[in-house]
Amino acid sequence: MGGRFTSPTALADALAATAAGHRPVAGGTDLVVGTRQGKWSLPEDLVALDRIEELRGIEETSGGLRIGATTSHADLAGHPAIRKRWTAIADAASIVGSPATRHIGTLGGNLANASPAAETSGPLLCFDAQVEVRSTAGSRRIALADLFNGPGRTTVRSDELIVAVELSELAGVGSSYVRLEFRRQMEIAVVGATAVVSLDGAIVIDARIAITALAPTVRRVAVAEFALVGTDGGPDAAAEAGRLAAEAATPISDVRASLEYRRAMAAVVVRRAVTGAIARARGETIPIPASASLFGAR
Amino acid sequence: MTATLAPTLIRQDGRDKVTGSGRYAADLTVTGMLHGAFRVAEVPHARIRRLDTTAARALPGVYAIITAADVPEVRYGAFLKDRTIFARDVVRWEGELIAAVAAATPEIAAQAAALIEVDLEPLLAVTDLETATRPDAPLVHAEWATYEADENLVRDGNLASRSTIVKGDADGGMADAYIVVKDRYVADGSHAVPIEPRAILAEWQGDHVTIWSSTQVPFAARSGVAETLGMPQNQVRVIVPHLGGGFGAKCELGFEPQVAALAQTAGRPVKVVFSRREEFLLPDHRRERMILELETGVRRDGTIVARRAHLIIDNGAYSMDEPFLGQMAAMFAVGPYRIPNVDVSADVVYTNTQPSGSVRAPTGPTTCWALEQHHDVVAERLGLDPVEFRRRNLVHEGDTGPTGQVFERIGALETLEHAAAAIGWGRPLPDGEAIGIATGWWPSFPGASGANVTINADGSGTIVTGAQECGTGAVMALPILAAEVLGMRPDEFRILYQDTDAGPYDGGASGSQTTFNNGRAVIAAATEVREQLLDLAADLLEANRADLELIDGMARVKGSQTSSVSIADLASQAAGAGLLLGRGSGEPPPTPAVETANCVGRLGAESFAAPTFFTHAAHVKVDRDTGVVRVLEIAASHESGVVINPIGATGQIYGGVAMGIGQALSEGVLLSEDGRQRNPYLLDYKLQTVADVPPIHVDFVDAPSPTGGPKGLKGIAEPPCVPTPGAIANAIVRAAGSRVRELPMTPERVWRALASTNGEN
Ligand SMILES: Cc1cc2nc3c(=O)[nH]c(=O)nc-3n(C[C@H](O)[C@H](O)[C@H](O)COP(=O)(O)OP(=O)(O)OC[C@H]3O[C@@H](n4cnc5c(N)ncnc54)[C@H](O)[C@@H]3O)c2cc1C
Repeated sequence: MGGRFTSPTALADALAATAAGHRPVAGGTDLVVGTRQGKWSLPEDLVALDRIEELRGIEETSGGLRIGATTSHADLAGHPAIRKRWTAIADAASIVGSPATRHIGTLGGNLANASPAAETSGPLLCFDAQVEVRSTAGSRRIALADLFNGPGRTTVRSDELIVAVELSELAGVGSSYVRLEFRRQMEIAVVGATAVVSLDGAIVIDARIAITALAPTVRRVAVAEFALVGTDGGPDAAAEAGRLAAEAATPISDVRASLEYRRAMAAVVVRRAVTGAIARARGETIPIPASASLFGAR
Repeated sequence: MTATLAPTLIRQDGRDKVTGSGRYAADLTVTGMLHGAFRVAEVPHARIRRLDTTAARALPGVYAIITAADVPEVRYGAFLKDRTIFARDVVRWEGELIAAVAAATPEIAAQAAALIEVDLEPLLAVTDLETATRPDAPLVHAEWATYEADENLVRDGNLASRSTIVKGDADGGMADAYIVVKDRYVADGSHAVPIEPRAILAEWQGDHVTIWSSTQVPFAARSGVAETLGMPQNQVRVIVPHLGGGFGAKCELGFEPQVAALAQTAGRPVKVVFSRREEFLLPDHRRERMILELETGVRRDGTIVARRAHLIIDNGAYSMDEPFLGQMAAMFAVGPYRIPNVDVSADVVYTNTQPSGSVRAPTGPTTCWALEQHHDVVAERLGLDPVEFRRRNLVHEGDTGPTGQVFERIGALETLEHAAAAIGWGRPLPDGEAIGIATGWWPSFPGASGANVTINADGSGTIVTGAQECGTGAVMALPILAAEVLGMRPDEFRILYQDTDAGPYDGGASGSQTTFNNGRAVIAAATEVREQLLDLAADLLEANRADLELIDGMARVKGSQTSSVSIADLASQAAGAGLLLGRGSGEPPPTPAVETANCVGRLGAESFAAPTFFTHAAHVKVDRDTGVVRVLEIAASHESGVVINPIGATGQIYGGVAMGIGQALSEGVLLSEDGRQRNPYLLDYKLQTVADVPPIHVDFVDAPSPTGGPKGLKGIAEPPCVPTPGAIANAIVRAAGSRVRELPMTPERVWRALASTNGEN
């Protein structure tokens, strides 16, 4: 008993703490809630990140965006540039939990927790996000595709902190993230899908499709992406991408849904995500969050 | 709403609850208090071979451990005395208590509970409702025949209770019918999920114990402690601080005897606070699982000639009020319809699962959900509009009910017309959207109840009542009734409530009975005070008593502006002499006469006293690719006799609808093969959130009941749960073309129903 809890304002102090084996806590919405659920016991020593100014906030850089690790989901969802140019991230951040969860839960926590159902991972993966991690020894960058090792596991070392996520601009893309939602708030992704597309006139010239909660980690589905490129991204093409993504998924059966239902729903959410991304690429309005806007879309 | 007395009532407990200054049981601490934890079976059925507490006792900080060996061997239960406060020899469900530990901290208590060595020999678990009563099924209670039981209970082995309703000649009716429709529905169990997990704190002083408990029924808790621990009721005091909801799950005896016995053994006060997980696993009140087989014969014109039904209801491992609820379910399987020939049976069967018990309108929503879908199937087969089908069959004043009770003034039909009109029945809707409708009924529960009313020396009023406030606001609204009798304002009264040593007996926050019964008691008590005030005023004003009225805080000669005296002045006079004290109970109204010659299992629900009638219409949108259903709008019309507190009554409808949507779409206990709960936590036991609750149009039909509560009112808290799932189910089939015969109608179940090729309705 008698663990230590520090709440530094300087990043250097936080890094010193993680170097000494203290576990970071940001919003605590995974760490503390998981403890109460009995998933793990609360780490002995904790270092809180919430008072470190330089870890929070969204900065527009020459080539794109730099998002501090402790930026909340609410801030992500409300940011004008994200809503306009990285719309799938806004779709995802705006449906995390409830208003309370979105105000206290952070981007860094969402990534470090490495849930296969984490909302922001799919969009960040499709946007080729780079994660900057730092320790007392220095910093390094990890491509989002290399961040996750498995459910709950990342390549971030225990002495390292995620300090920021960097996004570079993808010109003229449309994107959306769609999650299957049984109720309107406080959902967990039973299945989710991201699509990021570029059009040349009416034709899809680039497509990125990721599936969420359908494999041990969030992952892109190359076959579905290939199939979409060169099409008009219309209903048939979207459905075909959905069908291929569903085939590539490795869903499970549990209390939330059967494998069969999950696979069928993978096809639906991918189809809708593609539909939403195409529409946005064409300049049409699909209100954020796309999950709600595309409810019932056939 | 002719009898509306208080268009906007500010609740006395509102500010405390909203600001956090109010105290709940878990908030309390008393000097020397220890923390308690339970050790539970965690297996559904087993024989206890060995129970060893040595290692647990050795843990520093442990003060006491008790098991069945440390408490009197008393079997209890309302209708069937089949349970003990700790398991003896055999555990019969996963949440059954084996031992309780008192320790210096909650953590040590939990650790010690885990250290208790329990050697269990597994026994076959009974979980399937249909095979539970087969001769080859293992018995849940091998010694069932030795248990004391209500003399009207019909039982046999795993059959804990059978109730039947037989009227006319069902076979003959079916034979004469133009068509006969038969179908089957299956419902999972569900939970009440009060926001407050329960807490119990017990403190002994000498030979008497005070128990602070989050119970809906303090008097039942008191008598239960007295019965199980073998002490007189006047040595048990039960106090309920603010209660964070109950919805039925905190009815009947809870965990008060175990905590009291633990505190006695420890020689120190002990508090037990449940985790959310324990709140799912340990209480013996969850909504019953059911299988419903329904059969209806109709004439060509749509009038029903015969109803057969067989219901199988999960009692769980022990009997709380479920044996009685079987008879209620049988009444609901007939419904508020004119049916000359009826043959309904309801079997409540033992299984090795969590005991069932009253959860807001027990058996009501499930049975209504099945019956009202069944009725839509019948209407469809006849090519009749669902509203028209109900219009032709609903009961009217003067009709007889399932057991021959004659209906007095009622408004069943009006609720149908009003709900249909409010939702815009028949209007065109976008693809994937539709409206469904369901009608139901629910009894009032007349019973004994008491209250005292006093006027203090300064003219302020105090109501001391045994009634329990579970959050509905029913107790908070009692001043409306006292104020009317005494010509005062509701806010001039303070209410002292939920302390068994302070207020007279009341049945508690159950059966939607508070205003019905305790309202009557408060009026009776206030009327005594009124007589005392009039006596004083007549003397003082030298007026004829019969010419006086109490109005605006004064006693005055009717019509006179000058000849008056304030109630405060009268009260200050009385303070020096005969005090202004009223006590009341009043005579509960009678229950209707019935003919039940051919019925068995008469347990008190064979007639419905002052029944309420209601119709809900639901407008939904179905996502046909995913099976997800969103409720867009609900119209709710209720005939509750009269409504005296519209803000409270409307609030009950909002809450009941929200709870009903949950039962309809997302709330269900998932059981493993051997009867254990697979989703005892809120992430996967999905409640509806505030964002899921649609606009609700509320309408009340006035039909004061001659045998109702005050002013002819009826109960209102439970009914709004009842027709909501049925209305949603009927909307789903109209929107998507397939009928979902499993409850809850989860997205995956809706999806499967839509996908099944024989998607007949
Ligand atoms: C009611 C509720 C609903 C939820 N709904 C959703 C949902 O819809 N979608 C979803 O994706 N998630 C959901 N979550 C999970 C959670 O809110 C999110 O994952 C959130 O983003 C976690 O952020 P946090 O700051 O609270 O993390 P914390 O709990 O503080 O930390 C989580 C983990 O990350 C580590 N960590 C935190 N910050 C850093 C850092 N900068 N560097 C390195 N390691 C770090 C911690 O040590 C810990 O292991 C929900 C949670 C709750 C309680």
